[in-house]
Amino acid sequence: MGQTIIEKILSQNLGRTVRAGDEALFEPDLTIAYDYPGYIDSYERQLEELKCLTVNKPEKFMFFIDHFNPAGDTKYREVHVKTRSFAKRCNIRLYEDVGIGHQVIMEEGYIVPGMMVIHFDGHVSTLGALGAGAISVRNAVIEALATNKVSIVVPGTLRVNLTGKLEKGVTARDVFHTLVRRLGPSGGCSLCIEFGGEGLRELSMDDRITMCNQAMFLSAVTAVCEQDDKTDAFLAGTARREYTHVTPDKDAVYAKEYTLDLSTVAPVLVAPPSSANTVDIADYEGMKVDIGYVGSCASGRVSDFRQVLEILEGKHIAAGTHMYAVPASVKLQKELAANGMMGRLIDTGACVYYPSCDFCYGMLGTMTAGEVALSTGTLNIPGRMGCTKADIYTASPYTIAASLLYGKVTDPRKVL
Amino acid sequence: MLPKVKGRIAWVFEEPNYDIDNIVGVANIKLSDIEQMKKVCMSDYDPDFAQVVQDGDVLVGAENFGYGHPHYVAFKALRALGIRTVFAESFNPSFYKGEVANGVALIEVPGILDAVKRWDTVELDWEANRVVINGQRVLTCNPVPQRTKDIVECGSLINYIREKRM
Repeated sequence: MGQTIIEKILSQNLGRTVRAGDEALFEPDLTIAYDYPGYIDSYERQLEELKCLTVNKPEKFMFFIDHFNPAGDTKYREVHVKTRSFAKRCNIRLYEDVGIGHQVIMEEGYIVPGMMVIHFDGHVSTLGALGAGAISVRNAVIEALATNKVSIVVPGTLRVNLTGKLEKGVTARDVFHTLVRRLGPSGGCSLCIEFGGEGLRELSMDDRITMCNQAMFLSAVTAVCEQDDKTDAFLAGTARREYTHVTPDKDAVYAKEYTLDLSTVAPVLVAPPSSANTVDIADYEGMKVDIGYVGSCASGRVSDFRQVLEILEGKHIAAGTHMYAVPASVKLQKELAANGMMGRLIDTGACVYYPSCDFCYGMLGTMTAGEVALSTGTLNIPGRMGCTKADIYTASPYTIAASLLYGKVTDPRKVL
Repeated sequence: MLPKVKGRIAWVFEEPNYDIDNIVGVANIKLSDIEQMKKVCMSDYDPDFAQVVQDGDVLVGAENFGYGHPHYVAFKALRALGIRTVFAESFNPSFYKGEVANGVALIEVPGILDAVKRWDTVELDWEANRVVINGQRVLTCNPVPQRTKDIVECGSLINYIREKRM
């Protein structure tokens, strides 16, 4: 009986064959956390409760300061201070002022196919784009800090076979939220989504990263992509360890299988109040838009800003609208500066900001009652951008740019 | 030893993909005062909830209970009101990991939604992996991971690490 990608990754980690439903203690290759209250600032106290004076194998841990950056309040700066001192005391590598961890860790070559990674944050599924098995364990990061191991039930797999090609103006965000619509928000419940097929090979690494990032909105444990020459090109010159591609067996056993023809996907919005709510753009065309946000670990990469410029270059966003353009990392920020895109974005009226998670959850760029945002952030729940009476619709950078051009929701295919 | 679970159903959430932030209301997901949390808890569903609920009562949910971006306030409030068990058709994995770590018994019972109403009594048989409703109807649970049993037995993730893993 064959294995899926996630079964292979977890079997390799454990040193024996495991299958969906098996429960075992795994030692992740990397355990990641970022500076968020209730998590990283609690670990030191919890280790004291457990009488753990040191963290064993500190090279298997990595921390990021990417939230509350820049800090707008002393209490958040204190979280930074605690994160730094804890990392230093335990000899754990800490990155700060380099951008969003989920992006930086890939750029820095730490993630290769076949690795097992854990984090408290569900968006760690992003790393599945490179063929890693990246699982959110929520508060159980302390389990790894104290014992180097975590107890996990091997998830079953939802195989998504992608065929065909995307129409111009349609993006990976539209693909993922079309899957949510067709399979339902519980379509991947407690499963690992395995993206593969001819259609996947047509999608760029940025597209794959965006799709894997959103896995939790299909209620999946994580997502993972088949790997190819695009994966290798992404890792060329940066990969910090040797790797081989992890390929599912032909007779792998899937809990569910679904084939999606990319040519059938159209631009969509995800309407409030939840990520379950994929809607047709046609039903919202003409609705006023106040704010556009292109950034976050879900988007905020060069190809996302290229989409914005394809629509807005040489033009200007509508009077009264605002656009936050926030690259996902400092490396990307430098690239946008070097290739001239940053200046061209500014000329369209976009406010280009320093890489940070903070626009995605309302710490910066806070909205007020009655305002409407189109966002490439991860989430559209009420209050996510700082005000429970403001409406957030998630959308692709193309859709955001086209809509800001006219100050109202616009199908990007009409502008391209 | 695993705790005895026998309690009245304090509420049945019939909606699939239920977002538990609605238990306190999205405006209250950043509350830090436990008395305030208890006051707003379930008040949109039953204004008297905090008065009528008893220690050991349980909840029942539908498919994918806990979908969304669950914050901890809702179940902090419910635990403070004495609720330590939820039976559902299925759970969202993110919610499941987060609340089991807090010692809440989350038990998947296919078919439970149609089999119960508010204030029915449910008893869990950990060994036989089944529930008995009002002392009569029996439903089989999905297998409960050993980790879940261990954490519930120890009361919290930290106690579990200390007692079972070190």
